Amino acid sequence: MKHLSTPLARKIALYVALTLTAFLFVLPLWWAIISSFRPNDAIFRDLFPFSLRAFLPEPFSLDAYVGIFQRGFGGIIWNTLLVSGLTMIFGLVVNGLAGFAFAIFDFPAKNTILAVIVVSFMLPFEAIAMPLYGVVQQLGWIDRVAALVVPSIANGLAVFLFYQFFRQVPKDYYEAARLEGASPLRILWSVYVPLSMPTCISAGLMLFIFQWEAFLWPLLAMPAQEFKVIQVGMASFQEQYTTAWNELFGVAVITALIPIVLLLPLQRYYVQGLAGSGLKG
Amino acid sequence: MAKLEISGLRKTFGPTEVIPGADLEIEDGEFVVFVGPSGCGKSTLLRMIAGLEEVTSGTIRIGDQDVTRVDPAHRGVAMVFQSYALFPHMSVAQNMGFGMRVNRVPRAEAEAKIRKAADILQLGPLLDRKPAQLSGGQRQRVAIGRAIVREPAVFLFDEPLSNLDAELRVQMRIELSALHQRLKSTMIYVTHDQVEAMTLANKIVVLRAGRIEQVGAPLDLYDDPDNLFVAGFIGSPRMNFFDATVAEGGGVVLAGETALHLPLEGVSLPAPGSEVVVGCRPEHFVVGAEMGLRMNVTAVEHLGTVSVAYAARPEGDPVAVELQDRRDVSPGDQLALGFPPQRTLVFDKATQSRLR
Repeated sequence: MKHLSTPLARKIALYVALTLTAFLFVLPLWWAIISSFRPNDAIFRDLFPFSLRAFLPEPFSLDAYVGIFQRGFGGIIWNTLLVSGLTMIFGLVVNGLAGFAFAIFDFPAKNTILAVIVVSFMLPFEAIAMPLYGVVQQLGWIDRVAALVVPSIANGLAVFLFYQFFRQVPKDYYEAARLEGASPLRILWSVYVPLSMPTCISAGLMLFIFQWEAFLWPLLAMPAQEFKVIQVGMASFQEQYTTAWNELFGVAVITALIPIVLLLPLQRYYVQGLAGSGLKG
Repeated sequence: MAKLEISGLRKTFGPTEVIPGADLEIEDGEFVVFVGPSGCGKSTLLRMIAGLEEVTSGTIRIGDQDVTRVDPAHRGVAMVFQSYALFPHMSVAQNMGFGMRVNRVPRAEAEAKIRKAADILQLGPLLDRKPAQLSGGQRQRVAIGRAIVREPAVFLFDEPLSNLDAELRVQMRIELSALHQRLKSTMIYVTHDQVEAMTLANKIVVLRAGRIEQVGAPLDLYDDPDNLFVAGFIGSPRMNFFDATVAEGGGVVLAGETALHLPLEGVSLPAPGSEVVVGCRPEHFVVGAEMGLRMNVTAVEHLGTVSVAYAARPEGDPVAVELQDRRDVSPGDQLALGFPPQRTLVFDKATQSRLR
C-alpha cells in the first residue's frame, strides 16, 4: 500500500469512498424518481437481469403523473396544503404567544408548566392517539378538518423554540417599550416578532412538515376517507393500485418535493432559528 | 418638569430587603445623581420611580400625583438604559417615534418632535440609519432623543455612560450637562462613578446597602461628609483614614508607633480614651510640617497638574498625598505630613458617624 501514502493518492481514495457512500444514499431516491418517469410495465425491466440502464428514465413516459392527477391526487395535495397551512398559521400565533408569556411574565408554577410542555414533545404520538381520539369524538369532529388542525396547533417544541429565543432578547427592549406606553401584545408584534423572523420561520416550517408527514392521526380521525391528506392518499394508492408502481413512485416524489421546495429557500433561517442565534449586531 | 417625592419607600425580593425605607425630595428642575457601590440599590430605586419594579411599601409622588401604583407609561417619566435598548430593526427616526406611534400621535406632530430632538442632539443626518450603523456615542444620543420626544416630567438615566470609552464619557458628560441647562427638566441619574456624580449633579444622593447615607450638593458632600462611608466614597484619591484615641485635655493621638498628638478645632470630642478615626484628604496635608507624621514614599504618580505620592503603612491602605509643584519627590523620600486643624475630620469609630 505504499502508493497510498502520498497526500494526493490518499485524497483521491477518500473522495472515491465518499462518493460511493453518497451514491448508496442517493441511489434509492434516484431510482424512485426515474421509475416515476417510466411506464408501469418497464419498472423492473433492467433490474432482472441488472443493467446500468436501470438508472435512466428509459423508456421515458409521463403516464404516471397524468394517471395520478386523473385519480384526484390534485385534490389531496390541496387538502394537505390547507390542513398544513392552517396548522402553521394558527400554530405560529398560539405557540408564539405561549413562548412570549413564558419568557416575559412571572406567574405561579411557571417552571412546572414549562417542564410539562417540554416533556410533551418528547412523548410519541402513538401514546396519546387513543385519548385524543376520544376527545375529538366527544367534540363531534371526526371526519372534519378541525380534527386534523386543532390538535396540532399547540406544539411543545414550537413553544420551546419561541421561549428560548424570546428569553435571549434583552429585557431592556421590553421595558423601554413599556415606558413608551406599548401593551405587551404590541411589544410582541412590533419588537419581538421582527427580531425573531428566523425563529418564526423554523417554527412555521416545523409545524408545516409535522402536519405534512402526519399519517396515523389523519387515518384515525378521518375514517370516511372522503377528505384525504397526502400520506393517507399515498397509502391508498398502494392498496388499490398495487401494480401501478410508477404512479406510487410519482406520488412519493411529489410528496417529498413540496416540503423541499419550501425548505430550500428558507434553509438559512431554519438552521439559524434552530441554533437559536440571530440577535447579534 | 415636576417635583418628585419619595417617602418610606421599601423594596424586598423575597426575604431579602433591598431598600429598607427611603425618603427623598427632589425639586423641580434638579439634576440628582444616585451614587454608590454596585449592589447599593441605586438602580432598584430608579426602576421603582420608573415603575419597572414593584414597590413593597411607601409612596412615590411626581408633581402632585401619587404614582406609586400607576402604570409606567402614565407616570410622565422617560428612561435611558445602560444598554440604550434601541430596537435593532428600527431606524433612528422609528426608534425615536415608537412611543408616539403606539400612542397614535398625528404623523406631522410626531415628525416635528423627532426633528426638534434630532436638532438638539445633532442626529439630523443619522435619522434613517439603523442602530447597528451608529457609534456608541451616537446610540447614546438616540436613546436620549427617544426620551426627549416624550417630553417627560422626569428623565431617568441608568448608568448611561458606562458602555462608552473614557474620552467619550467626558464629552457626553458635558453634553448631558448642557442638555439639562437647556431643557431645565428634573433629571435623575444613576452611576457608580463618583466623578460623574460630582461633575453632573446639583444634588448627590449617596447610597449604601439600600440606605441613603447622605444627600447634598457635590461640594457639601466633599467638604462636609456625615460619615466615614461618604467621606471615603466621594473624592479621588480617597480620603486617608487613621485610627486614633481622644487625648486628655483635647485633641487626638494617632495610633501606632508615632503617637502623634493632633490639636483639633471646632470638634466636640467624646471622653478621653474613646476610639475615633481621623480623616484627611490627600490635598489637605501640610507637607514639610515640623510636627508631622513621617512617611516613606513608596510610589509616585505624576498626573501633570499634581503629583500623588503614596506611602505604604503596616496597617490600613497606603496614605495618599497630593503634591502641588513638587515633581522632585521620588520613592524612598521621606515626607513629614501635618494635619491642618480646620480640615481634619473626626469620626466615631463605633458608629462611623462624623463628630462635629
